[in-house]
Amino acid sequence: MKKDPISLGLGEHAISRDPEDVLVAYGLGSCLGISMVDPLTRISGLLHAVLPGAVNGVPSSDPNSYKYVDSGIEDLLAALVKEGANKNRLIVSIVGGANMLISPGLKNSFDIGTRNMETARKTLQRLNMSIAAEEVGGHTGRTVHVYVADSRVTVRVIGEKERNI
Amino acid sequence: MNDNVVFDENLLEMLKTIASEGIKNAATGFSGMIGHKIEVSNPTIRLVPLLTISEIVGGPEDDAVGIYLRFEGDMVGQIMMIMPYLKTLELADLLMESPPGTTQHLGSIERSALGELGNLCGTFFLNSLAKSIDANLRPSPPAVMVDMVGAILDVVVATSGGISEHVLLMQANFMDGSRSVEVSFWVIPDMNALQNLINKNSKDDKA
Repeated sequence: MKKDPISLGLGEHAISRDPEDVLVAYGLGSCLGISMVDPLTRISGLLHAVLPGAVNGVPSSDPNSYKYVDSGIEDLLAALVKEGANKNRLIVSIVGGANMLISPGLKNSFDIGTRNMETARKTLQRLNMSIAAEEVGGHTGRTVHVYVADSRVTVRVIGEKERNI
Repeated sequence: MNDNVVFDENLLEMLKTIASEGIKNAATGFSGMIGHKIEVSNPTIRLVPLLTISEIVGGPEDDAVGIYLRFEGDMVGQIMMIMPYLKTLELADLLMESPPGTTQHLGSIERSALGELGNLCGTFFLNSLAKSIDANLRPSPPAVMVDMVGAILDVVVATSGGISEHVLLMQANFMDGSRSVEVSFWVIPDMNALQNLINKNSKDDKA
């Protein structure tokens, strides 16, 4: 019987090496889905981060590190390496970071989506990791799937079909 | 994390009363907009953990419409009304006085009508709230979003994520004869706003 996808809620992460597993973060708006897959060992991870993280350079004291882009990326990487993934082989993709609010009356919206993206890029750069694929920004929600079997990462937006990135 | 406001039963009870009045008042605004009476039934209010909200209104990937406004004045906060996409097509028929099934997708006129509805319900709701706590509250113009539930609710989560771990969820059915639309309102008052309510509550208790 086909397994159900492993669905990640806000601030959650998942790691798997089971080829039958599919990791998924549904309906990402300003949130960011960050996937890291090691194609050789098939060890794959996905993070559903909500907020950029550290405020004014001070790391958050929130125990839920996966809620934040910066600490979430670091902890996801550490967890994958602990499982046996090779950091140098990890293929990183980022999805989401949209600005959902477009209204002339709400110009002062602090755009969390953009800040999430910027934080992801900075954090990955600091960790010497490059982004292989990204589908970010804009004004639409996205769903990201990670297929452990073949390390595929896909994106779907409202009214469209799922496609590889 | 600044989430040190304790939601005791008294406060929640008081919020329930205010919200219930607010929803009824919103229905009055709705009735005024379409020219005949809209009934409201089963209003519920509960406090829900912020990180679970997209699981509550359908699934996070379901198509939905969100109408969002902020309020400011004596206190600041946000209101998000969210409805399943198919229900908003029915609602658009209702607003445009078209036979059921007429609206097949939301164009700019339908979005504008929904925005106006959100504006009206939000304003009527706020008037109720303002009256209850004797505050001056002004709503922003509405923003209408058509997208996945999760993506729409990210707006709520992102703007309150650093402040609060819980949000108030109100749900009610708006009914026009046999047509019924369940609307979920998320209200995110800031901590000062809640503190105001608590203070007023404790003063009333002492009086």
